[in-house]
Amino acid sequence: MLLLNLSSIEMAGSDLAKYPFLNEAGEYLRESSFGWEELDRPDMKHIIDRAAERIEIEVDGKIYDKLERYEIEILTFLISLLIVKSIGIDQVLRKFALAEARRAEKFLTEDLRKQSEIKRRSIFTKIFEDLFKLKIVISEDQRLFKVRVVDYLARASHFHEQEWKLINRLVHDGYVYLDADETVRLIRNELAVLIHDKVKSMTLPTLPQGIKSTADPLRLKLLSRYERRASTAVTGQPPCIKHALEVMNRGDNLPHSARVMLATYMLAMGKPVDEIVLMFGNAPDFNEKITRYQVEHLAGMKGSHTKYSVPSCNKLRSENLCFATAECDTLINPIQFGRKKK
Amino acid sequence: MRENLFASKTTWVIKKAFREYYFNQLKAIEEPLKIEQREFGYMQFGQAGMLRHLSFKSMKELDAILVREAPSDVYCSNAYYRFPTQQPMQEKQWLGADLIFDIDGKDLGMACVPSHSYSVCTNCGYVSPPEHKEERSSYFCPSCSSKKADHVSIPCSKCIDASKKEARRLIDFLLGDIGLEHSAINIYFSGNNGFHVHINDNACISLDPQARSDLVGYLSGTGLILESIGVRKTNTEDLFFIKFPKSGLAYGWRKRIAEKLKIDSSSTIKLKNIVNQKGGYNAFKAELERLVRDIGVRIDPQVTTDIHRVFRMPGTLNSKSGLSKTKSGDLHSFDPFVDACLLGDGKVSVRVKTPVKLKLKRNSFNISKESAEMPAYAAVYLMCKGLAEAN
Repeated sequence: MLLLNLSSIEMAGSDLAKYPFLNEAGEYLRESSFGWEELDRPDMKHIIDRAAERIEIEVDGKIYDKLERYEIEILTFLISLLIVKSIGIDQVLRKFALAEARRAEKFLTEDLRKQSEIKRRSIFTKIFEDLFKLKIVISEDQRLFKVRVVDYLARASHFHEQEWKLINRLVHDGYVYLDADETVRLIRNELAVLIHDKVKSMTLPTLPQGIKSTADPLRLKLLSRYERRASTAVTGQPPCIKHALEVMNRGDNLPHSARVMLATYMLAMGKPVDEIVLMFGNAPDFNEKITRYQVEHLAGMKGSHTKYSVPSCNKLRSENLCFATAECDTLINPIQFGRKKK
Repeated sequence: MRENLFASKTTWVIKKAFREYYFNQLKAIEEPLKIEQREFGYMQFGQAGMLRHLSFKSMKELDAILVREAPSDVYCSNAYYRFPTQQPMQEKQWLGADLIFDIDGKDLGMACVPSHSYSVCTNCGYVSPPEHKEERSSYFCPSCSSKKADHVSIPCSKCIDASKKEARRLIDFLLGDIGLEHSAINIYFSGNNGFHVHINDNACISLDPQARSDLVGYLSGTGLILESIGVRKTNTEDLFFIKFPKSGLAYGWRKRIAEKLKIDSSSTIKLKNIVNQKGGYNAFKAELERLVRDIGVRIDPQVTTDIHRVFRMPGTLNSKSGLSKTKSGDLHSFDPFVDACLLGDGKVSVRVKTPVKLKLKRNSFNISKESAEMPAYAAVYLMCKGLAEAN
């Protein structure tokens, strides 16, 4: 569970409803002497159903936007964590964590926008500091927020959009100026990681029957969806990948960025590292040891253990690696090629 | 054979001068912070490649190597590692890296460079003087027909002033925009033709290559989009409208551009007219990119973004010149040809390959005859450049 020291902050019930991942929510449960056996009570059915609904919506990539009183929201969140944990499918957990982060992001943005409520804004800036070690200062004219340049760089340099480049920001005296939306966007990924890690580190108790009877069918439903997705035949390779493979097979030199694209794409397609390494065998400067290290690095098996994603179509266009055909029309990432329904 | 004899004697003379320096001036070598977490490396005269992955617990250990080996170049990682000697790199366990900027005089496109640059044949050492300098792409040695040459330059005061100007601009950005403390910025003459700016700020140590690259983009003025100053593109090609960003134009790059264009965040119509006068969105974009690059600082992006690099150690000698990598307290008064010229002045007899002029330690040398006797610091400088050999 989160170890937060927010004792000096006055959290309202409505805050806990919106941010049930805060430690105060856990404290509330402890103080109310809530026990697992209570989840089998008939009046809990409504909350368990809400949790299942929340997961289904979020796994579809949408944001669950219902908001009830905090007693219900805290329990719904807790039960949804239990169900996601019991489902045990990584993609489900990742999608759930990201959608939960975006849900919290929506509430945080609204709260930070309330310029008239200075005290409440300072509550949220404190949350940022405690949860994400991100110090936020309210700008001199109260309209904007400021974060230290280094804190900004550590986060925004991983965003792909040009507008997040430091040069496209208002920068002064060690601070980057951001509005409420931008400030919250800055921590979306960390929020998702926080929720993801929360589920990962949970020890699953024997599920109360009330939850099990909802979780099991949901698990089966999602399992079939993800198994089917994993076995979906990809109808050919996208033209950027085809082009890179052709260059590689000719024994011509492929630029580093194209090699990254090829390797991350093949990893995303589930190709084993050994096969990918061999794929680079024709490169004029091929060195198996180095190639293996680099592919394993991209796969998150080495170095920082960050798994690299396939570069977006936008990024590939900017690097002159895009050879789009009509079939690429609506894609934003090569990985969608042959899968995306038009 | 005769060339080889000259070469080995030259190397011997340079190495002797370096050893004397390390013996007498050990205190000039700056101890890096957390020395035990750094990776060290050095190169030896007459040997290719660098001895890397070394670690020293204290300066005493390093000093012993410097006096014993008299290396041609000595390097220390910007990175801190848990296990600096481990290989491959990921086994070292990276803990962070100092933020360092490199301003290289040769990247500044100075018009004077050809007038003080020499081509030194890599095969026979023949020197083509500046006035006969062939294009690099078509070098042909008049002595041995080799097509490969090292291009060496004796930077003039204009070159050094240009590097200083870049360093000052960098410091202005780092203080005013990035908010670094003056005391966190250390400027070093590189020992040849440029400056290294080392940042001593704990918050910067953990920045990853992408974050450093974004910072380099900011400082060098690359990646600016017109939307950030309020010129927004519509879906129709080359059409645009003006909507200033919520955060305004009061600081940083936006302020620099606004001042150049003489606009503020109420000049909607004026900015629209400027864009139209320049020929529309795309033409204005090209013009602004040029403007921003001119205002930005010319730093080497590869150097700053590399978090596993080894850098020349402050206080050690540069084998391209025999000058020392020296801290510059006051850039204005700093003269690398005096302050970084720390070798002795015992007489050394040399055979100079081409007429050459230089000024070191406030002494001018205008050498037109083949054989000359000169102070060690000047003789070593010319030998390191490949323009002279020991007699």
